[in-house]
Amino acid sequence: MNLLINKEERERAFKTPKKENVIEKQQLSVRYHVEDFALENRPQRFLEAFAAILKHTNYRLVLDHYVRISAKCSRCTSNCQIYLATGDEQDIPCFRSELLLKVYRRHFTISGMLRGRVFGDPGLQNEQIQEMAESFYNCTACKRCSIECPMGIDHAIITHLGRYILSELGITPRALVVSTREQLIGKSGNTSAIPVPALLDTLEFLTEDMEEEKGINIPFPIDQDGAEYLFLPAVSDFLMEAETLMGNAAVFKATGDSWTIGTGYFDGINYGLFYSDHILEEVLHKIEAETKRLNIKTILIGECGHASRSAKYFYPTYCGGKEALPVVNILEYSWKAWKEGRLKIKPNVIKEKVTYHDPCNFARSGWIVDQPRELLKAFCQDYVEMTPSGRDNICCGGGGGTVSIDEIRPYRTTIGGRAKAEQIRATGAKYCVAPCANCKKQLKELMEDNNVDCEIVGLHDLLYQAIIFENVEDEKEIHHSLT
Amino acid sequence: MLETWIGFGQGPLFRLCLALMLLGLTRIFLLTIIGMIEALRRNEDKIIPWKDLIGKTISWLFPLKRLFNKRPVYSLISLIFHIGLIIVPLFLAAHLLLWKNVTGFAVSAIPKLFADNLTLTVIICSILLFLMRLFYQPARAISRKQDYLWPILLIIPFLTGYICSNGSISPNAYLLLMLIHVYSANLIMVMIPFTKIAHCVLMPFSQLVTAIGWKFPKGAGGRVIETLGLKNRPTWVEKPRLVYEDLTPEKEEVSV
Repeated sequence: MNLLINKEERERAFKTPKKENVIEKQQLSVRYHVEDFALENRPQRFLEAFAAILKHTNYRLVLDHYVRISAKCSRCTSNCQIYLATGDEQDIPCFRSELLLKVYRRHFTISGMLRGRVFGDPGLQNEQIQEMAESFYNCTACKRCSIECPMGIDHAIITHLGRYILSELGITPRALVVSTREQLIGKSGNTSAIPVPALLDTLEFLTEDMEEEKGINIPFPIDQDGAEYLFLPAVSDFLMEAETLMGNAAVFKATGDSWTIGTGYFDGINYGLFYSDHILEEVLHKIEAETKRLNIKTILIGECGHASRSAKYFYPTYCGGKEALPVVNILEYSWKAWKEGRLKIKPNVIKEKVTYHDPCNFARSGWIVDQPRELLKAFCQDYVEMTPSGRDNICCGGGGGTVSIDEIRPYRTTIGGRAKAEQIRATGAKYCVAPCANCKKQLKELMEDNNVDCEIVGLHDLLYQAIIFENVEDEKEIHHSLT
Repeated sequence: MLETWIGFGQGPLFRLCLALMLLGLTRIFLLTIIGMIEALRRNEDKIIPWKDLIGKTISWLFPLKRLFNKRPVYSLISLIFHIGLIIVPLFLAAHLLLWKNVTGFAVSAIPKLFADNLTLTVIICSILLFLMRLFYQPARAISRKQDYLWPILLIIPFLTGYICSNGSISPNAYLLLMLIHVYSANLIMVMIPFTKIAHCVLMPFSQLVTAIGWKFPKGAGGRVIETLGLKNRPTWVEKPRLVYEDLTPEKEEVSV
């Protein structure tokens, strides 16, 4: 499949939405909006932030290793969907990582410093910072390049570190910064700025809706002390993915397990995973505080890739190591309940052709690959796979937080997601199941901009239609007789 | 005269270069191990997914299954090249004496015909890899000087060795080629720890290093901004990094 964009598409994708005077004022020519930041001594401040991060973290181990072994074999080009779409050398994963590795070698290794002195290399310049600011946000951090690297280099960790250093200078897409600010110090305490009364109204409305449809009461338990599960979906689901939430609640109704949504904190989103270890930690501490307040036993993340990965892999990092509370994803939960026979599903409920998109944050590590497929096959008559899929899946094109940057939508749907759009088109599926808030948003835009006739849904949206409420038949009868 | 130099190259100089190579490789090996231990000590989370890491590492150490998913021709050339690079220098009959002199024991040599064919294969693969780097645009875009240098440098001992053992050449030409063979091989040994060929020792640790790298130390983010003198200005506050002048007095010295 030739993914290379043509001239017209290139112009559309790279058109900057920013005004000239803003670019000039900020001395930063990137396509995403950035809040104003100090301009003076930018290279010096970059190096100071880099040095401080190296001092307090383990990145030096990784950088030293990568600097020593990088063989520049260019195998990563065969798997990077951004490079395959643009064909630009600056989009080669190894090229992107080298931007930061070069700075590391020059300023933080003895041989680099000596060479700099001998050859009169002036060191880090403003232009290099600009290049990094552009490059690190062109990458979707999908890690497909790392699958093909014989040396085992993970370019995503370099992108992550590069973004972290830039964030300490104030260079981060405004969309991410504003959401995080609201989450950490805003009144609502979540990235979508949903006040608790609005949340409760929404949930009440959904319960009524389900009651009308199914004839039974399917509640969203609120602030249940001692519940087994604290449910944390991507908070945007409360605004945009009602059907996913209804499916989530319906599963619990069927299994009878205790779960709750906490009014103290109910947001699974953690943009720290995309650009700052500091934010990653602070957000996880908010989850920790809520689990303590409600005496929770297990953290349950909704249909969201990055929320799941940030909690699964970093909750132990910041909240107790081996002693930390377990983290499960709702897909794992539903699959396990179905396997144990506690969740009954009607077969062949969905007649139309269905395919499944693997969110990179679940699938690349092999964490959640087979479970959703087994579930889908249990109630979908016509299930088809995309090629490639599973651990080798193609990214939706909005990974690494880029989906939240609305001003780069033409880039995301022309370059980032091009491979995915063609992959979905080739299946001819009516529904594409994408169990991730970010993937869903990106894929919906992708289908629209690339004229692909496929509806993007969550797994629980469809599962909701297939659940058999066996243990609540009596309740249903009582409920009917009362109403 | 040439014979004396060859003798020196095969004797004391060989032992010195071998020692430098081994010391250099041991140094980076130990630095990596120590780095990993330090990192783990710093982290509260010490959970390592061993099974997954070992699986990935083995799949690249013996990449017969996965190498050909992408760029199969390049992959095949690279794989054969690596096999030849390891087998010929270590198991060629003519080299075994050198190894015996240094280590005190010898293993069985590979048959001469096999060694000759493998040597020719390495030479051809080197040329092809060099040409691919030169003419494949993405590879050229990311290549450094050493990336072009290595295939050429590696051809020298293989080619001279092959001619010396198979060609009907004059004694003087033989001595000259042997001199080049010995000294280029010594040079390669010395360069290994300081260049990308260090992957011969470090590559098996890559997956583990990356996994440990993704485990961040608790509280590091707070300590970073404290060091930068921005304790009360984390990135999420309003205009956190707009004015710096008034913040500098708090700043701690960090080595840049």
